[in-house]
Amino acid sequence: MSTRTPDRRTDATSSRREHTRSGPSRWSHCRKRGVDGSMRTDEHERTEGRHSSFTTPESSGPVSRCAASSDWGSQVEDNEMRRDLHRDLQRYRRRILAADGPHRERKASSGSSGSCDSKEEDSLETDEGVLLRRQKQISYGKNTLAYDRYIREVPKHLRQPGIHPKTPNKFRKYSRRSWDQQIKLWRVKLHAWDPPTDNGTQEDNEEQLDLGDIMDIELDFPTLAEPGPQAARSGVMEDPEGTGTPVKVQRMDAAAASDVV
Amino acid sequence: MSQIDETEAHPTVMENSTDEYRFQSFDPDTQMLLKTALKDPSSVDLEKVSNIIVDQSLKDQVFSKEAGRICYTIVQAEAKQSDGNVFRRNLLNRLQREFKDREDTRARSIHEWVCYVTFICNIFDYLKVNNMPMVALVHPVYDCMMRLAQPDALKNEEEVDCLVLQLHRIGEQLEKANSQRMDQLFFLLRDGFLLQEGLTSMTRLLLLEILEFRAGGWMLSSTANKYYYSEISD
Repeated sequence: MSTRTPDRRTDATSSRREHTRSGPSRWSHCRKRGVDGSMRTDEHERTEGRHSSFTTPESSGPVSRCAASSDWGSQVEDNEMRRDLHRDLQRYRRRILAADGPHRERKASSGSSGSCDSKEEDSLETDEGVLLRRQKQISYGKNTLAYDRYIREVPKHLRQPGIHPKTPNKFRKYSRRSWDQQIKLWRVKLHAWDPPTDNGTQEDNEEQLDLGDIMDIELDFPTLAEPGPQAARSGVMEDPEGTGTPVKVQRMDAAAASDVV
Repeated sequence: MSQIDETEAHPTVMENSTDEYRFQSFDPDTQMLLKTALKDPSSVDLEKVSNIIVDQSLKDQVFSKEAGRICYTIVQAEAKQSDGNVFRRNLLNRLQREFKDREDTRARSIHEWVCYVTFICNIFDYLKVNNMPMVALVHPVYDCMMRLAQPDALKNEEEVDCLVLQLHRIGEQLEKANSQRMDQLFFLLRDGFLLQEGLTSMTRLLLLEILEFRAGGWMLSSTANKYYYSEISD
């Protein structure tokens, strides 16, 4: 499994985190609650047996796993992001309920792949940690010259599905691998808008792509980790662009699946 | 009984009508840099700018009261111009480094320590995120206040003065963010006022006033106001 973390423009350090709960800080040993108000478990014990630092591709040397959370700059940014997320979530909820309202009808078969708003509320991702991580990944992708050029060149209403990259919807339920895959594909597609270099060839300024990842995309399909409404295996493929309703994929055997990513 | 300077002790109203910042203490090149940072932040080295501002705030107490407003303007300008956070991030991390070394700073120079506290409280006051004070600063600010309330600090009028001034300005916000620590702080202040020997009368006056101020819900009753702030004829 890759230890690669999303590229970051302004900061060379990065840390690998599964949760948004603040890591140990100067004052954490005497506080019952983390900076975001949530109760702290005894994280010191939990973290004892693990590496305290990794060398990630983006950093120049070993980086503390908790470096990002214990500096004030990051704490404030995370806090801000969290508030923005909550606001976005409420907005999204209102939007899907509004679209839902007048035409609310439970379809008998759940095999539809068209946009099906009545299903949106059921498959809404609300875990803050997940949303925060996804938002960060999206921000990294949007904080690129390629994205800037893309949105200026192609207005939203002129976007064609399949050809033009579309930002994955962070509020939909996807498995971790599925989501990471969508992000990768999205960013690969965005590279088509990289600014040309002086000698006329397009160069990837932001992130060195591992071609192995691109090759993998062709061969294997991500599986869903969580139990959803167990639909019949309809053989409909996961839509990596996120343009259709997510979900029904073929179950892969474990060996093949573990080769992906 | 000496009179407390009213302009110092009362909470200041935010003057944002004029763009006059006190840049006179800087050399012309630096002044130019700062003025550019306010208008066109992405064209300057924001890390350098944040260091200049912090360095000056640690020397000049008058500037450290002003600095919060300047920083706020730059943060807003950068966010608007390039959706960036470089200045704020550098500022906060520099503040954090100074915070780690605060005991050394205090040992070296009470004045610099007091300037630091004034500055961090100023930042807490001005740099809001979604109109809320930055949560990351709440505990550090309290730590500074608690330090100022220690017996050795209460002996210095300079430190007591700083303590009560900051509590006037941001006490209410601090309490809202964490009332338990405010209670703890005021236990210390009460004890200091009642029990500590060798405090000057000025110090005791300042402490009594802040005790009454908080007890009154972060304001003084009119009679208390008269007591502390009116001219007393001999």
